[in-house]
Amino acid sequence: MSLREEFAIIRRGARMQQRVIGALMIRELGGRFGRYYLGYFWLFIEPLLLGAAIGLFHYWRDRPTAFGPFEFFAIGYILFFVFRGILNRASMAIPGNQALLYHRHVTLPDIFFARHIIESVACAGVLIVMLLALYVADGSVPESPIKVAAAMALMALLSQGLAFLWASMSHAVDVAARFLQAITFLVLPIGGMFFLVEWLPIWVQEIVLWIPTVHIFELLRDGQFGSRFRAVYDLPYVAGWIIVTHLLGLSALRITRQRIGLE
Amino acid sequence: MSLELINVHKSYPMISGRKVVLSGANGHISRGEKIGILGRNGSGKSTLVRMFAGVEAPTKGRIKCSMSISWPIGVSAGVKPTLTGEENARFIARLYGRNEKRTVEFVESFAELEEYLRMPIMTYSSGMRSRLSLSISLAVDFDCYLVDEALAVGDTRFGRAFAERIERSGLILVSHSPALVRRLCTRAAVLDQGNLTFYDDLDEALATYNAL
Repeated sequence: MSLREEFAIIRRGARMQQRVIGALMIRELGGRFGRYYLGYFWLFIEPLLLGAAIGLFHYWRDRPTAFGPFEFFAIGYILFFVFRGILNRASMAIPGNQALLYHRHVTLPDIFFARHIIESVACAGVLIVMLLALYVADGSVPESPIKVAAAMALMALLSQGLAFLWASMSHAVDVAARFLQAITFLVLPIGGMFFLVEWLPIWVQEIVLWIPTVHIFELLRDGQFGSRFRAVYDLPYVAGWIIVTHLLGLSALRITRQRIGLE
Repeated sequence: MSLELINVHKSYPMISGRKVVLSGANGHISRGEKIGILGRNGSGKSTLVRMFAGVEAPTKGRIKCSMSISWPIGVSAGVKPTLTGEENARFIARLYGRNEKRTVEFVESFAELEEYLRMPIMTYSSGMRSRLSLSISLAVDFDCYLVDEALAVGDTRFGRAFAERIERSGLILVSHSPALVRRLCTRAAVLDQGNLTFYDDLDEALATYNAL
């Protein structure tokens, strides 16, 4: 087969996958929110309300620091929401959609991609709304919007890799779903949303820097308030996590696919 | 264009030992053929259907397929009960790269669902559901239709319209009902204890099946 023919096959495959993911996204949206009431709006409202609530809570309670507590916690929460939103739904992704596999060009990763795109786009939309609101309220702008966007993208990718693994594990062992649910709660206090690494004693810093989300939160804060503190993050370390979770996760999905008994 | 089975083995693990569905099946189904596959309950018909549909791999051997085969019609295949018939038709049209509007129009004229087309699937009777999924698959236009079990294709207005439409394409009907196979198919195979035997003569196949 010539190189050109191989390219043509890859292009055809990519087009088909694009079509499948598009169809799955529309289906997911229609099914999750229905066509009535606030409809698709819920997608944005949920992270927006939760993020704003947490931001306001800290705004009123915290002593003033170099950082606006609202900016710190509300924006941070949206990043956490990407993680939570993708992972909490991961264990239901296969049982809820496996009948779709009767359509031969629907694959397990496609089902995840469609959901993750929806989740990430919604959170990115909320992030933009929040940043605009902050600009209108007190004229503050992030020092580096690119770093903020990169943090968002890295968080979505890391969550995706973990979601592949998570869903495969939940399929293999039922109780894994409940056990893993607890992990998202654990990540909330230690995952980097509530602190900056430089606030911690050195020995604690060394421990939390093993957690990949801590690096992503530091990148976010660097993008928001860069010059006001010393950010600590190692992007190759985060990339390593993303690559390893994707490789392991996609392999696990492949094994899972063979074990799914369609009724 | 055809579907070809080359020494296909299929078994899956049970609590004790393995359940054998196929042990070395060979066969050839050409485009446009209408073939019935008869098997008693528990003989592995559904597994066979999934292999024909290309969503389950054989344990050993190969299935070579050079025509488009529908998803198994009669299973719910990802129909979302909260979506309407029309929305589900649009979803399938998008999935298979067909024109959405034409797909919906075809389903509208074929499925006899009237205003139910705009209602959520969960309000449908089982007959309405199978008419909907059959109509959607006909709109996609496959070379060969893979139909699993008793559907609303009996001797009704819809059933006759379906039989007429299927004349233009192929059919693999997996069933335990000899009468349905006789009405819609020209050839048949019998699945029994891991053996899939093709018969060119319909009567011979039905006689073998009845003697099981």
